[in-house]
Amino acid sequence: MGIFQIEAYVFILSGKDRWTFLDGLSTNKVDQSCTTVLTTTQAKIIDVIDVIEVGENIAIVGHGPYKEEVLRHLQPRILQQDVNIRDISSLNHVYVSTDQFPESKGMTVTQSFLGWLIVAPSSMPLNPTMSLQEFDDYRIQNLIPFQQKEINQSVHPFNCGLAQYVHEAKGCYIGQELLTRMRSRGKMGKQLMTVEKDADDATTTGSEFSLAIRRTST
Amino acid sequence: MDCGTCESAPAIEVVQPKTVDVSLTITEKAIEMLSDAFGDDRSHALLVGVLSGGCSGYMYDLQIVETTDIDCQELDISGFRVLVPNASSHLLDGIEVDYVDRLMGGGFKINNPNASSSCGCGESFA
Repeated sequence: MGIFQIEAYVFILSGKDRWTFLDGLSTNKVDQSCTTVLTTTQAKIIDVIDVIEVGENIAIVGHGPYKEEVLRHLQPRILQQDVNIRDISSLNHVYVSTDQFPESKGMTVTQSFLGWLIVAPSSMPLNPTMSLQEFDDYRIQNLIPFQQKEINQSVHPFNCGLAQYVHEAKGCYIGQELLTRMRSRGKMGKQLMTVEKDADDATTTGSEFSLAIRRTST
Repeated sequence: MDCGTCESAPAIEVVQPKTVDVSLTITEKAIEMLSDAFGDDRSHALLVGVLSGGCSGYMYDLQIVETTDIDCQELDISGFRVLVPNASSHLLDGIEVDYVDRLMGGGFKINNPNASSSCGCGESFA
């Protein structure tokens, strides 16, 4: 088991329209804690976020460097809906555990596309036990994409191994028409795969293997 | 994550676009259909709003309401009360509410000069 600290933002969404607001703007069915993807009208990724139900609120956890872009995406769309966003990034540290992590007082643990996501108050930091190289090797072994590596604004969710977070039957959301068409026609483009360590097109280079996004032969 | 810390965190300041005095038209066909829907009762109003979501980012929201908690501007068009939320007034200024009479995809439609694109079903725009 290993724990790796990630650079993340944490927002709290409150208000009675919080679930429908987030559901209407992302690829997965958002009515409970889950991983979902915010996409542009061209179905390119803005960020992958973990949604966590916290009492009467929702916490969303995403990649730190994408925070401003996500805010630019969410804020103008609140309009007349009852939704408030608070930024609690500076009050918390975010970690990924490769195995299920016991929840303790003050700590929130949820299953994420990265593994087990732990949000802990800054006053109760954990001791990371994994180096970046070990975290990358864990991701390569489990075919897990990461922001600024495989997940960026030039790919859509099917390219980088996030197809399971694109709901097959939910209604409209931004980017839905393109993603639904790609899926129904079976043309989902390049795919995330494990490749040889020294591949020129590697997006993450590991100790033994690497990750890359390549066109498949089918 | 401690919910105590959540409550103490400051809300992100939402920069609201300036409220616009909305000018809106309703076609004759749409007026006819509204008359059918309202009957002689003019105590209710047509709320024309915008919600987030849809394929293009924003979705039209048409409702017949008696009152609303939403901060709105009220227009009188052909004897109908029309409510437009101030928060989405910048997206709705200049629109035309039309009614398309056809078996598939018919119903009220909104022609919006502010929209740079819209989705196939016509309910969503960017």
